[in-house]
Amino acid sequence: MASPAQQLPPGWTAEWDATHQRYLFIETTTGHTQWEPPVGNPEAPPQPQASPPPAQHSKRRQYAAGQTQAYYGGDALGAAPAQYPAPGAPQQQSQLFTPGLAAVEGQFSQQQGVVGGGQQSYYGEQQPEYINAPQQPAYPHHSPAQMGALADQFGQMNMGIKGPRLVTTNLLTVPPEPRELQQPPPEIVLPPGASVSPSPFSNADSSYQRCTLNAIPTTNALLNKSKLPLGLVLSPYRSLKEGEEQVPLVTDTVIARCRRCRTYINPYVQFIDGGNRWRCCMCSLSNEVPQLFDWDQVRNQPGDRWARPELNHAVVEFVAPTEYMVRPPQPAVYVFLIDVSHNAVQSGMVATATRTILENLERIPDENGRTRVALIAFDTSLYFFSVPAGGESSMLVVSDIDDIFLPKPTDLLVNLSESRAQLEALLGRLSDIFQDNHTIGSALGPALQAGFQLMNPIGGKIIALSSSLPSVGAGALKNREDPKILGTTKESGLLQAASPFYKTFAIECSRAQVCVDMFLFSSSYQDVATLACLPHYTAGQTYYYPAFNASRTEDALKFAHEFSEVLAQPIMLEAVMRIRASKNLRMSSFHGNFFVRSTDLLAMPAVPQDLSYAVEIQIEDTITAPFVVFQTAILHTTCYGERRIRVVTTALPTSSNLSEIFASADQVAIAGLLANKAVERSITHKLEDSRDALFNKLVEILQAYKASMTAAGAGASAQLAVSDNLKMLPVLILGLLKNVGIRQSAQISPDIRAYAQNLLTSLPCQLLIPYIYPTFYSLHNMPAECGTVGEHGVIMPPPLPLTSERLERHGLFLIEDGQTIFLWVGRDAVPQLIIDVFNLPSYEVLRGGKMTLPVLDNSFNQRVNAIVQKTREMRRGPYYPHLYVVKEDAEPLLRLWALSCLIQDRADVLPSYQQFISQLKDKVNGSGY
Amino acid sequence: MGGAGWLFLFAVLMAAGLLFTMVFFIIMFSDLECDYINPIDLCNKLNQFVLPEHIAHAFLCVLFLLCGQWIAFLINAPLLGFNVNKIRGGNHMYDATEIFRSLPSHKKESFIKLGFYLLSFFYYLYRMIVALIADSE
Repeated sequence: MASPAQQLPPGWTAEWDATHQRYLFIETTTGHTQWEPPVGNPEAPPQPQASPPPAQHSKRRQYAAGQTQAYYGGDALGAAPAQYPAPGAPQQQSQLFTPGLAAVEGQFSQQQGVVGGGQQSYYGEQQPEYINAPQQPAYPHHSPAQMGALADQFGQMNMGIKGPRLVTTNLLTVPPEPRELQQPPPEIVLPPGASVSPSPFSNADSSYQRCTLNAIPTTNALLNKSKLPLGLVLSPYRSLKEGEEQVPLVTDTVIARCRRCRTYINPYVQFIDGGNRWRCCMCSLSNEVPQLFDWDQVRNQPGDRWARPELNHAVVEFVAPTEYMVRPPQPAVYVFLIDVSHNAVQSGMVATATRTILENLERIPDENGRTRVALIAFDTSLYFFSVPAGGESSMLVVSDIDDIFLPKPTDLLVNLSESRAQLEALLGRLSDIFQDNHTIGSALGPALQAGFQLMNPIGGKIIALSSSLPSVGAGALKNREDPKILGTTKESGLLQAASPFYKTFAIECSRAQVCVDMFLFSSSYQDVATLACLPHYTAGQTYYYPAFNASRTEDALKFAHEFSEVLAQPIMLEAVMRIRASKNLRMSSFHGNFFVRSTDLLAMPAVPQDLSYAVEIQIEDTITAPFVVFQTAILHTTCYGERRIRVVTTALPTSSNLSEIFASADQVAIAGLLANKAVERSITHKLEDSRDALFNKLVEILQAYKASMTAAGAGASAQLAVSDNLKMLPVLILGLLKNVGIRQSAQISPDIRAYAQNLLTSLPCQLLIPYIYPTFYSLHNMPAECGTVGEHGVIMPPPLPLTSERLERHGLFLIEDGQTIFLWVGRDAVPQLIIDVFNLPSYEVLRGGKMTLPVLDNSFNQRVNAIVQKTREMRRGPYYPHLYVVKEDAEPLLRLWALSCLIQDRADVLPSYQQFISQLKDKVNGSGY
Repeated sequence: MGGAGWLFLFAVLMAAGLLFTMVFFIIMFSDLECDYINPIDLCNKLNQFVLPEHIAHAFLCVLFLLCGQWIAFLINAPLLGFNVNKIRGGNHMYDATEIFRSLPSHKKESFIKLGFYLLSFFYYLYRMIVALIADSE
């Protein structure tokens, strides 16, 4: 009975139909096919699936009573015979099941097979194609549920140990190993039966949402004792690379939510009352299952509840019915504000930007022809472009920037597909029109206001490209850069917004569902800190290209690539995000690009892909549940005009055992959360405070670990102990302390610092970790297969620890942090290496700086090129890192910059890793009474 | 009724007014916590009252100083200093983007001010009565 093949009467076969996600039944003799399982046993007439008899053993995992049975393994074994009829036994229950259900059952009995031991081989033979093929294609590993079943077995043998085991490491003797950072977070071991679905996707992937602790302490006292920060790091709208699993979509608008806490139904609810009601996993309220929940609306017949995506996947999207709409879905609107002042034209920004827009017009999401576009150019006046469909486009100049008005009521914001030809012609001409513009100055504020007026009733995205400090009209800023105060306590003032205009305007934008993206290009001070406020509170993103000059092809290429990626992104519009959690957990503060509209509602007029948000969590009272659930829901309009809800659910076990909590701490998520907190602190307090806070947090964690997890207790110890899964935390914190955004230095311009801080708070973990702990490869002696295409794409060389000890005088090294790539050439590099890679006769001729590697006809060059290419492509996000060639003996600034990536070295006043660790050790021992 | 009597009668009324302002602030903050109001409206509403409140308090202080009521002035001086410092730092207004982060501190501040105005209300009342009694004798 566990697979359809066994339930079938003789002469029938079952085949999985991938498009309908159910079995097709074929009578082999006649070739007759049908969806319904054939009736082989006339004594047992088919029963409607919606009301199965409650006493049915084979369904027991779905209901509360069954779950408790599963929880106490003894009963499960006792009940097992009912599940595993002997091969010859009559198949009495066969008609009671829809085939999809049977498939799920099949998986379940596979788990039971593990538990049941003796039955294992039998099912192992019979079921493999049903176990893996239909439900989880291309997923060869053991499902977490299976692991859970195993772990449960161990748990019963050895009471208390169910989570990951705590392994203590001595930081003094174990150097940081870069490969550790690639490891997945500590395994989440949920109590058996927590999830109604055996699917491996029933817990959100760490790239969508990860928690700093994969076992939640049951009390706040316990959390305080561990000193570990508790929070979520999430990027719910991450981009999907080719071949990645799409987010499943629930199209039938049957959205089951808890009446009280509004939680969306997810794999962690319990079905009770014979499956007619479900108990919410957060507030334990019993809710009715909607009538249409078990109804397949496409084919108008009873559907299979257990095949519903929301019960099998932790990341799902629902198509929202009209109750979720304030107004009909808006079209996507893009308003481009292009700076055409002298600086912008001279740097080639205008030409590059218009060409990029022109080339990417068709990549702008516009599936149903509703997308609208407007162009506004500005220097100290505003230039509107009227683009009537079918007519000739014309330019309208508005030089009154004190009181912004639109020169024309129509034709400024035009439909992209209808006015495509006019737009293309206009974009082609735009940079020529302003070619000889000698006006200096920028009316960015008024231009933003104009763009806002243009799209006010609809909302959408403003993309502002600016090459200089806004100097006239609303939002004009002063140059407040003062080299004397850099590196002093006053420096944080430069990181705060200089003018309230950008904050108040951001609030207006947020209300009108307008999002702003900033592209900044200035070679001199541009006050990135102030301008970045606008994207920050309207959920956009800031991109900064210091001293942009399009005559360098690298600059033009980088900007064009990133700009076109931003344009082509399918954005979410009119979004609000809410994060719900089980009882006694409260979201206490939020970090990231959005506007907090109420205590737990984050307003995001447009959500770009691959932005990260961090949330701190408080434990308010003792948690009694065996596991807790965090659910992030984003109600949004897709850029194709469909209202949807994306739901990301993470379930985590609770624990009252400190060692389990330490063993399940996720160092990457902790670093992400601490980066956000450090940046916030550096703005509200001082940069120095934020560095101290980071260092002290690390000391506290190590002290707490030492006091409660090691034999040394409170006394002095020759070791610096930390759990194995946290052993990269010190080096990540060191990386943060040495990051441009936080580092102690009097040489970092406030613009660069503000941009680095912006990256620290918005990059998802996948990009953030290399940004604080760069990757370092040695290329001249890499293994022969590196740089060639392997099973998972280009094979990368093994990463080295970030210390200059590894630099060799004759070597070629690559250091990259996701934003820049440095190709380090040693001074004794053999001429053949230079010839092979750069096509230059010798080291002396080679010039450092930004460059593009030539593609040559030799294998080493191709391998290096492949590695550079892969470095640029392997991560999510639009970023396209520059490649700098750094010669060992030239350009001290560039050399220092590249070396500052090697964070385990001593630099200036900043300690090396060894010094840092011994400082930590002194602190940990020193204040341990 | 002499000068001191009038002065403290005025002070009592002012203190009552300030007291109500603080109660209003606190109610608004708890409304925000319960999602009855959004932060933008809250800040627009409260910011109208921030400067008047500060000015009223400063006016009272100056009045005490001019009238030579040293004790009353000294009681109010710390709060005056605090307010002046905040205005000079440019962070006296409520900022809708940061309000949730700073809500606990705003609430604490409002509660402390509430307590202060309450105590000073009774103190002014007492001084007023003393002054009236002194007058009538």
